[in-house]
Amino acid sequence: MNEQELVRQIRAAFQAIDPVPEGVLAAGRSALSWRVPGAGLAELAGEQDAPARPGVRGGRERTLTFTGPDVTVELEVADEAVTGRLTPPSPARLRVRDAVRGEVVTSADESGRFLLPGAAEGLVSLVFELPDASSVVTSWIRL
Amino acid sequence: MPQEELRDTGELVARARAGDGAAWARLVERYSGLLWAIARSHGLSDADCGDVVQTCWLRLVERLDQILEPAAVGGWLATTARRECRRTAQRRNRELPGDVPEPAAVPAADQVVVARERLCRVGSALQDLPRRCQLLLRMFAQAPTHAELAAALEMPLGSVGPTRARCLAHLHRRLAR
Repeated sequence: MNEQELVRQIRAAFQAIDPVPEGVLAAGRSALSWRVPGAGLAELAGEQDAPARPGVRGGRERTLTFTGPDVTVELEVADEAVTGRLTPPSPARLRVRDAVRGEVVTSADESGRFLLPGAAEGLVSLVFELPDASSVVTSWIRL
Repeated sequence: MPQEELRDTGELVARARAGDGAAWARLVERYSGLLWAIARSHGLSDADCGDVVQTCWLRLVERLDQILEPAAVGGWLATTARRECRRTAQRRNRELPGDVPEPAAVPAADQVVVARERLCRVGSALQDLPRRCQLLLRMFAQAPTHAELAAALEMPLGSVGPTRARCLAHLHRRLAR
């Protein structure tokens, strides 16, 4: 058996034992539709577990900080809600994108504060559309 | 393969960047098998493997405009997959403290029994190889370049060729029995 044939059979063997599910391939193909051309990317710069709050059941909180070219986005993730703040403060149209459930539109107020609708969990990315017509997108994270 | 394959990957990235969904789909088909194998090598479940692969593609989309070396995207994806696997494993450890099972390169024996009849001799021989060889050959069979294999296995580039040759020889010996 030459090497090429052997490699083909190795591939076939793993394909038979443990194929990539079609749904995973489909999700990969549809990832391109989440692209926001021209948006600035704010990447996850830090993640911190807040100290447990005594007396609060479950009460685990995380603070996620995203930094982009000109902005910072902070997210406070608690069991009951996800809130956040855009710095420098600015109102914005806010598109909350959930890789599974699609997109919901909300807004950030004059002080840049916002509340994510619903119990966000799963893979999420935010798009802020600012008054000067520029956009900022946060890198995808699992809430 | 490598040179042409690389150029092709670079072209697909450039076309996807220009909005060509078919070129993007080709990239997804070309590399998802490698990303899935990397996730498996970290002992992740089906659901977590799916998450890792999807996250890798979303990460590529978010920086599609900034990629400096489109032809090297396979290595970048492999490195990204390893990082996402570690994050996922850490999250699981936080949620479920306790023993983490030794990750299997191929599924556990009871699952294999079901699949064994469909396996060719090569498949059976693969089961007898050391885990590292199984992983390397599995990833190599996805047609990655040496650079991509090095990233996928977190191995120095210079040792990929010799290790690959050793694992292939190992497999040949098993098949000759």
